[in-house]
Amino acid sequence: MHHKVVVVGGNRIPFAKAGGPYAQASNHDMLTAALDGLVARTGLSGSRVGEVAGGAVLKHPNDFNLTREAVLSSALSPSTPACDLQQACATGLETTMYIANKIALGQLDSGIAAGADSASDAPIAVSDPLRRILLEASRARSAKQRIAAFAKIRPGHLAPLAPRVAEPRTGLSMGEHQALTTTRWGITREAQDELAAASHHRLAEAWDRGFFDDLVTPYLRVAKDALLRPDTSVERLAALKPAFGGPEGTMTAGNSTALSDGAAATLLATEEWAAEHHLTPWARIVDAEVAAVDHPAGEDLLLAPVGATGRLLARQGLTVADIDLFEIHEAFASTVLATLAAWQDEDYCRSLGLDGAIGTLDRARLNVTGSSLAVGHPFAATGARIVPTLAKLLHERGPGSRGLISVCAAGGQGVVAILEAV
Amino acid sequence: MSALEKAFYSPVGRKVAAKAGLAEPPRLRRGRDFPRGPLVLAPLGPSTLVERTLALVGRAFEAPVVDAGEEAPGYGDRIGALIVDATDVSTVAELEGLRAVLRPAVRGVERSGRIIVVARPGGAGGGWEADAVARALDGINRTVAKELRGGATSTLIYVHQGATPADLVSTLGFVLQGRSAFVDGQAWHVRPASTPEASLAERPLEGRICVVTGAARGIGAAIARTLARDGAVVVAVDIPQAGEGLAAVANEIGGTALQLDITADDAGARIAAHVAARGERIHAMIHNAGITRDKMLVNTDAARWGAVVDVNLAAQMRINEVLLAPDMPGGMADDGRIIGVASTSGLAGNKGQTNYAASKAGVAGLVIAMAPDLGARGITVNAVAPGFIETDMTAKIPFVQREVFRRSNSLSQGGSPVDVAETIGYLIDPASRGVTGQVVRVCGQNLVGA
Amino acid sequence: MPAADARAVETLDTLPAMGTAFARALVPARKGEARVPSHAVRVDGVRQDLDRLAAYTRVCGYTLRDAVPATWIHVLTFPLHVSLLGDRRSSVRLVGAVHASNAMTLHRPVASDERLALEVHAEALRPHARGAMLDLVGTARVDGETVWEGVSTYLVAGLRAPGEPVPVPREPFEPHAPQAVWRLAPDLGRRYRAVSHDPNPIHTNRAAAKAFGFARPIIHGMWTHARALAALEGRFGDAYSTHVSFVKPVLLPATIGFRATAVDAGLDAAVTTRDGVKPHLLMSVRSAS
Repeated sequence: MHHKVVVVGGNRIPFAKAGGPYAQASNHDMLTAALDGLVARTGLSGSRVGEVAGGAVLKHPNDFNLTREAVLSSALSPSTPACDLQQACATGLETTMYIANKIALGQLDSGIAAGADSASDAPIAVSDPLRRILLEASRARSAKQRIAAFAKIRPGHLAPLAPRVAEPRTGLSMGEHQALTTTRWGITREAQDELAAASHHRLAEAWDRGFFDDLVTPYLRVAKDALLRPDTSVERLAALKPAFGGPEGTMTAGNSTALSDGAAATLLATEEWAAEHHLTPWARIVDAEVAAVDHPAGEDLLLAPVGATGRLLARQGLTVADIDLFEIHEAFASTVLATLAAWQDEDYCRSLGLDGAIGTLDRARLNVTGSSLAVGHPFAATGARIVPTLAKLLHERGPGSRGLISVCAAGGQGVVAILEAV
Repeated sequence: MSALEKAFYSPVGRKVAAKAGLAEPPRLRRGRDFPRGPLVLAPLGPSTLVERTLALVGRAFEAPVVDAGEEAPGYGDRIGALIVDATDVSTVAELEGLRAVLRPAVRGVERSGRIIVVARPGGAGGGWEADAVARALDGINRTVAKELRGGATSTLIYVHQGATPADLVSTLGFVLQGRSAFVDGQAWHVRPASTPEASLAERPLEGRICVVTGAARGIGAAIARTLARDGAVVVAVDIPQAGEGLAAVANEIGGTALQLDITADDAGARIAAHVAARGERIHAMIHNAGITRDKMLVNTDAARWGAVVDVNLAAQMRINEVLLAPDMPGGMADDGRIIGVASTSGLAGNKGQTNYAASKAGVAGLVIAMAPDLGARGITVNAVAPGFIETDMTAKIPFVQREVFRRSNSLSQGGSPVDVAETIGYLIDPASRGVTGQVVRVCGQNLVGA
Repeated sequence: MPAADARAVETLDTLPAMGTAFARALVPARKGEARVPSHAVRVDGVRQDLDRLAAYTRVCGYTLRDAVPATWIHVLTFPLHVSLLGDRRSSVRLVGAVHASNAMTLHRPVASDERLALEVHAEALRPHARGAMLDLVGTARVDGETVWEGVSTYLVAGLRAPGEPVPVPREPFEPHAPQAVWRLAPDLGRRYRAVSHDPNPIHTNRAAAKAFGFARPIIHGMWTHARALAALEGRFGDAYSTHVSFVKPVLLPATIGFRATAVDAGLDAAVTTRDGVKPHLLMSVRSAS
């Protein structure tokens, strides 16, 4: 890369469970809020930033040009250009790389990478009034409320039904796919619940020490991640019924991410631009790699990042031991555990074309401030949540500290990136 | 709204209130507007200090009407302000000169007009009589303030020997302008400070970093906006829970938002780091954040006590200590300004507010103690003491008490957050170098308090 | 803080329901002398409903955020307009009164969780060539601090007010190609009614519209005002004044034009016919901080 690309700040709104406090907020509303908080933190009100790249996985027809529209609603200068990208659950990391690459090539001196998703405001292929009624009914707390909502349906509202949320080529939902992987890799219920509990506890600890004071701005009266359960425990999680994999399944609502609402953004720049704007670089973007697996042929849908990780480390001449902190997106607790198992599996790694096993990870260096199980996972926002979180963590550890981000995505894909503190 | 409050605002209630003398309060002149009518300068001796200061303020003046005979003379048209240069007054006999110019002016001053007396302080070695006279002037000022009507105010400025027009200009400008709308019956000191000579500035804080705590709402947001209007680069600080409002304030004024619990151990260090990242130092640190946890002392437990005292007093002491370390990157600049926010409750005591009064009186004590120690670095330390200001916090006061508070000052109304903000803007003006260790009340001359 | 003038204030416990007050406001005015109540109506501690705010922002095109738009506070004061003109002492009726212009100042950002004291009174009853004009003046306060002020000027045809009509100067308008085209669906009146709670049937019912001389229902002027402000979101500070003249009603459904021009003091904008030749609404927005 020609120019050094640094992460100089980030902001997100607290994430919340779908149908919760942001039930009425759209992708546009949340993305605008995330941008406005970032602008306030970095003092960029009225300024033109090189480009903003954002996106959402669940998009309405009226989310056309979502990011540009959010920029126009934000405190940024209206002369700030923007574009939408989509790479499923890795959208927020892909937008980061898009901006970073442009900065590295000298096409931009600054840019914002972002993502937003509302599972509350999910698009359904029916008329808008019916969609609203259905959403209202789904939020109803009593039969009476639900009936009142349905009573509003008129014949003219009725139209084609919503599409199923499933992998188009397999017909399996992401949870069903992961259940196959969980069984194949022999991931136990106990291990999954331990990982989930640790995620909550670490996130709670980070909130308590004020770590998120300069990473999160409240929105619509929500000041803290609403899914966080600081008092959860392995025992409590053990009591939950399986959600995927049949009656004998090990995956529950507690060790799988909940449908969530939220938005996140991160500010990237050259070192010169950061200095001119009086901003402290936290970490530089070192490199990134994308990979895919043949899940229609039976490969593990959410393990694509393993191949990307091996290739990326090899290209950079690094090993697991050279990386101080790891951020592996917790789509499901078993995704993380299967990923770690795959890293250690000589045969599996060789089957991906790698020279051998990637290595064994000391869990103390993994998701040290919690991850998606506790924070929530508004699909496109997650990457843009992790990048500034890791950058700040590395900055705290001191120059030269390295971190690796691994995010799995629908379609059997994965995006992996390395950051290094400056 | 209570039944009583409803009755008060009902048509009948209003008539009763009017009969009882609770007339609708006057609307105060605010902002950088000068009085509409002419300024009248009355020198009571050979001193030209005020005349030269008025030149820096950039305002012309007229000669006073002097009461000499039986019939009290008056001004034809209403005057905007009477400014008395009493720096040569040091005997009891010379006080008659003051009476003679005040008498016509008290009747002739316009709505939101000003009476300003500039005099020498006591304790300056002028002898027993001079000290008695200095104190007599304070009594006169307080009384004039109470007799004035229509939002007009009276102010006494004690100018120490050696202070120049440049030392005095920001003070005289502030008192004349609408910025001092809710400062009434007050006296404070201006000392010689070798302030560079300059005329009264429109945007005195241009490009300077000012940190405001509690900036998401109320008085803090008003401070942030007012300082930004005066050119400041504002670092708006508030607790993380108030972040959305804080971001809106910061984006509105082109400042930066810093979400921070000021009671955290690293609060001072994080403020400094934020400013250091901008490669600068702090011109003004405004400790505005404050909380109340009101209970009668018999019901005040350690938690209620500790929270208020920690947020309102201890936190700013810890932050000051960090920012004042001379080698601290992003710390206080030399010639910087520190502002504490005290309260008339702190100065006078208020039932159910032992903890609050302790913290706010403590703030007053703190700035008085700090000022002399920081003089060598040119750093001034002052406090404002708001009286009844209409804010979220005062809205919690029961209606009757609230209405009594509103009415129990010489301007017959509650102040606005901007009144506190403007007073802070004046105190942190680089030209206010000669004003330090002062507690300026922004209370419309509330009956309670010192 | 009490109002600066000595107007009597009738304090209501809650915002009045639209039903009865509106029923009275609906009864057409008899010809004759225009009279309006001299008192103000006030409601304290008004909570803002976040769900309704969200729906309002969707219908008008705003972004949902903690700081609310100025036009939203107008919507909150609207029941007081109805209540005031539904008073027996009023010969002016809201139905049939034409909203001629609207001016608002948002003195500082108002958060959606702030409780508002809302007050409305009528003033400046004056003659007009076609009848009488009057202003409904609203304020919103938070703990005594005035955070919003709004003036709605209505023209009531057929009523008399004392004095000689002062000609209202026509605001200058230059035809110009629109920068934006808005397509207003036939049900927009119904959708805006649901969020504004303005039940005037002239906006939703063809027969009612015909009764007042319109071929089809017309969209609420305050929707057009809100939509125009929303189009300029982020272009002015958080404290601002906005003034609009409602020149010509928009019949639903419609395709109309919009354009805005930056001027020294702020922004000027116009909602026009689709070809930009005739104005529906003229707006100016100025920073108030």
